[in-house]
Amino acid sequence: MTQKNRLMSGGRINRSKPLSFTYNDKQYSGYEGDTLASALLANGVDIIGRSFKYSRPRGIVAAGAEEPNAVMQIGATEATQTPNVRATQQELYPGLVCGATNGWPNVDNDLMGLVGKIGGKAMPPGFYYKTFMYPKSMWETYESYIRKAAGLGRSPNEYDVDIYDKMNQHCDVLVVGAGPAGLSAALVAAKAGARVILADEQNEFGGSLLSSRETLDGKPATEWVNSVVEELSTFENVALMPRSTVNGYHDHNFLTIHERCTDHIADRAPNGQVRQRYHRVRAKWVVLATGAHERPLVYGNNDVPGCMQASAVSTYINRYGVVPGNELVLMTTNDNAYHTALDWHDAGRKVMAIVDTRKNPSGALIEEARNRGINVMVGSGVIEVQGSKRVTSVSVAPLNEDGSRVTGSVIKIGADTVASSGGWSPVVHLSCHTGSRPVWKDEALGFVPGSTVQNQFTAGAINGEYSTEGALGQGVESANDVLKALGLDAVSIALPDTDEPAQSESMALYHVPHTKPTSQAPKQFVDYQNDVTAAGIELACREGFESIEHVKRYTAMGFGTDQGKLGNINGMAIAAKMLNQSIPETGTTIFRPNYTPVTFGAIVGRDCGELFDPMRYTAMHAWHEERGAEYEDVGQWKRPWYFPLKGESMQDALNRECLATRESVGILDASTLGKIDIQGKDAREFLGRVYTNAWAKLAVGKCRYGLMCGEDGMVFDDGVTSCLGENHFLMTTTSGGAAHVLEWLELYHQTEWPEMEVYFTSVTDHWATMTIAGPNSRKLLEELTDYDVSSENFGYMDWKKMTIAGVPARVFRISFTGELSYEINVQANYGLHVWKALFEHEDKYNLTPYGTETMHILRAEKGFIIAGQDTDGSVHPFDLGMPWAVSMKKPFSFIGKRGMQREDCVRPDRKQLVGLKTTDPNIVLPEGAQGVFDPNAPIPMPMVGHVTSSYWSANLNRSVAMGFVKGGSERMGEKVYYPLVDGRTVEAEICSPVFLDPKGERQHV
Amino acid sequence: MSDTAVETPNVMVMNQLPSSEIVGESPLHHADLASAAATKNEGGVHLRENALQGFLTLRLNPENKDLLASANAVLGLELPTKPLSSVTEGATTARWMSPDEWLISVPGEAAFDLETAFQEKVDGHFSLVNSSGGVTTLVVSGEHVVEMLKKSVPYDFHISEFPAGKVVSTLFAKSSAVIRRLDEQAFELIIRRSFADYIWLWIQDASREYGLVIKND
Repeated sequence: MTQKNRLMSGGRINRSKPLSFTYNDKQYSGYEGDTLASALLANGVDIIGRSFKYSRPRGIVAAGAEEPNAVMQIGATEATQTPNVRATQQELYPGLVCGATNGWPNVDNDLMGLVGKIGGKAMPPGFYYKTFMYPKSMWETYESYIRKAAGLGRSPNEYDVDIYDKMNQHCDVLVVGAGPAGLSAALVAAKAGARVILADEQNEFGGSLLSSRETLDGKPATEWVNSVVEELSTFENVALMPRSTVNGYHDHNFLTIHERCTDHIADRAPNGQVRQRYHRVRAKWVVLATGAHERPLVYGNNDVPGCMQASAVSTYINRYGVVPGNELVLMTTNDNAYHTALDWHDAGRKVMAIVDTRKNPSGALIEEARNRGINVMVGSGVIEVQGSKRVTSVSVAPLNEDGSRVTGSVIKIGADTVASSGGWSPVVHLSCHTGSRPVWKDEALGFVPGSTVQNQFTAGAINGEYSTEGALGQGVESANDVLKALGLDAVSIALPDTDEPAQSESMALYHVPHTKPTSQAPKQFVDYQNDVTAAGIELACREGFESIEHVKRYTAMGFGTDQGKLGNINGMAIAAKMLNQSIPETGTTIFRPNYTPVTFGAIVGRDCGELFDPMRYTAMHAWHEERGAEYEDVGQWKRPWYFPLKGESMQDALNRECLATRESVGILDASTLGKIDIQGKDAREFLGRVYTNAWAKLAVGKCRYGLMCGEDGMVFDDGVTSCLGENHFLMTTTSGGAAHVLEWLELYHQTEWPEMEVYFTSVTDHWATMTIAGPNSRKLLEELTDYDVSSENFGYMDWKKMTIAGVPARVFRISFTGELSYEINVQANYGLHVWKALFEHEDKYNLTPYGTETMHILRAEKGFIIAGQDTDGSVHPFDLGMPWAVSMKKPFSFIGKRGMQREDCVRPDRKQLVGLKTTDPNIVLPEGAQGVFDPNAPIPMPMVGHVTSSYWSANLNRSVAMGFVKGGSERMGEKVYYPLVDGRTVEAEICSPVFLDPKGERQHV
Repeated sequence: MSDTAVETPNVMVMNQLPSSEIVGESPLHHADLASAAATKNEGGVHLRENALQGFLTLRLNPENKDLLASANAVLGLELPTKPLSSVTEGATTARWMSPDEWLISVPGEAAFDLETAFQEKVDGHFSLVNSSGGVTTLVVSGEHVVEMLKKSVPYDFHISEFPAGKVVSTLFAKSSAVIRRLDEQAFELIIRRSFADYIWLWIQDASREYGLVIKND
């Protein structure tokens, strides 16, 4: 297809670089420098989608971020599918493949379109609420159809092949927007030596200057832009960021920028390059120079393809060399839009009429139009257009003074394009993100940023200053405000002369009246993306919605991906009129981040795949890998779960590991246990306050188990603490709880007992820890040390320093298995050396590595708890059957003492931890199963507690379990029943949780 | 056996290093950086592991001038009391970590001597804890080192905000690092053992677009 709307010359496109692309399976061509939208318009593509609710054909309306209709699905392959891309912001690249996101079976013939033709009554506002909410149970059925009909693009079904990342940035001033105001602000700040980031969402800097034919210093405005950009690029402290949308403005001047690094080059990023980058910016100051969006007028059938923003039409002509039609009717409330008619005329196409809603417009631009022979119809409005897939004609009627009524007869004018301008809406989105409410400015006919607590200035059209000269000046002014705040000297720069003609007053008109009442007139769209009409807003007001926030939610105005950039102000004006209020009285809704949609890739960055979350490894990890360990995640640690031999099932491996440990010796990598070095003359007293048991008499060389509780008396961590010196202790914590315990200690030291002389230092990573357990563990130890490890010299709950395999070690004779057991600690750089030295005796003692699962089974056989598995923040030491671990006699209180003595905590029928012996020894209860005393009780059965730990014990050749049972400690020998989801009910006897060696003879050898 | 511990009544310190025939393995031993160093010599980010150094965490109250003076005398340097600063004398560097905490580095074999000297010569409430096995040191440098760090760390690395000698303890991706600037284009990262592999993977990833060169000691 030829580019029938392309001009022979002009624009910022490169005609020597033609590019082909595919839209809805058809090939088209455009040029380097095109956006997807300009290329589609050049090719005369009118329909680029179907509307959300009514499925009406829609065309391109705008030329920038505010575009509501041209929202595309882009991607040549499944893996590169990107939904919701605005064609107006997507640069064309060779081979681009895209399709309309909305429209079934296709955009040109859409079956849903029938709904749109039936008329407004078919789907009024609140339609979904009113229609689909009853019966409630059917909502899910309705929803899937509604979603299908809505078609908001689709996500890819394959992994994204591209790389996205994030970068942290800091600057003195972030200038948002590189139009005339942003450029002059950045230049001033740069010249003063400030660190500047200048970010703009477009591929080129210049903003509005790229789209107009105005001159600066008598030369095309873009020459001035080029000279400023060139000068800015010479400053070392200036970062220029095109294709970078400042999407979010958060508290404390933290802003996010979404930079599209290669989206303009190809379907996927060239090898090694980052596709999109998310910048997290901490800016001392921010200058918002975000400009303004032109506000189209609301009139009948204003969504028929061919109806556009006036400024967008000028942009397509001047920037891209594309005239998006042949015969133009321009409707305007202001002088500025006359530029569009002049641009169209000078491009050699026909301007059928300028319809000016004002009675007596006058000024240079009006004169220019008349001089070119253009028919200027004053005091009139386009009340509706005709056509379905493209405008064919327009109806023009005279209006009264304030534009509220049609006052005369309607005439029809043939045209294929209607450009409209109702003035400008300042882009206040970012200033709203931090909670600042915009304020109405009458002379600008728009909302401008309100007061803010941020370090923020604004410049240019965002302030309602729509002239280039004014914007340039405000840029300089705002930058100097920043410099003053930074304590830097003011800078003046020479601003270029502008050639803008004086403009006469604009008219405040938003909604063009029709001969029929709004409810009966052809649909007058306010929010294209959500199909919100003027009639819908009026209906919402009639139904009693008075707050603009409620009107917004009821009609869904501004809820689309465009956040109502085009329509919101018109909607508020219509609501204000209905409510007999002024616009400032009605107020405005505000905007949230993000300004434009951000891809999931950019949000995720590199925090995916193997970098999703840190995996922590011990010093012996390489050995575990070699032995083919299966892993369990414990916190961020990768801990060996079990070590299967070839052909072994998990249960086989566990049985073998459990038996070998109790029969000879097993070894566990316990390096992940949290370890905290505690020193100071008050260390011992401090331990007494944070643990529930007594520490006053623990001698140097001894170890003791302790429970740690919160203020509520509930256990949150446990571990063994050893006395290394009179004022020196080593605390161990659970693997997952280490960081929290250290914080807990510091918190209490710093806030409650700062007078205590004690310091805490984490040494978790410093020590490699290996536990050897089993009757042969002493013999194994003797192989590697000449220290006397006999029971007489090295008793249970002692620790000794010795040399093992040539490496100095601290060895703790403590046991989590009930076996004779030693915990060997060496400086981690030597951990693997010692581990391997132990394995030199593997065959002699059947030394068997085991992982966390066997550790869990072995401790469960002994009834030892695991904090976090057998506790859940709601159990105190007495619930756990551990009164021996609580000393109520300590002179100073301990954390949790009062908590565990509350009335509720001393009830005898609290749930208590007990052993559970299934009547059928082969049944392993599922963990989490809920117990009942009477399996035949009517539903809902009273539940009496759940199973916390349950395993197959190869050593006992039966299942073992622990769990909570109401009043369980007084119910020994009684039965409890576990009705399971598969219909079975398992009977178990309440027993002591210690299934093996209740006297502890195995560890006292 | 030879009892390597030095006993004081209150605090136990021991020489944790074996004789030199037993070679220690740094947390990045498995990455075999020496082999990686042979493969590539051009790129915008350079990395070198400074393995097996001695690291000790010192806690004391610097308001106690006598205590501070005796600690300084043993260390042979003035402990920095200005936040986020560091002091180097010879092979010893002290990094300010918090108002009463410093991270001291010495050659690996000197850690025990320093511990011993502190127990013998410093009187008062302090703690000096050997953490040499728990960390390793990476020196990253090169033309694009700041960009790599900006992808990893929220801190401001502009030379005006982060001059040579400055130290911060901060996030590194989803882990943490103690970062000291050595010169305009070189930084020292002290990273935890268990997170070393993650950080090594992260640095390789973040450096990809600039090219990563591994340097030998």
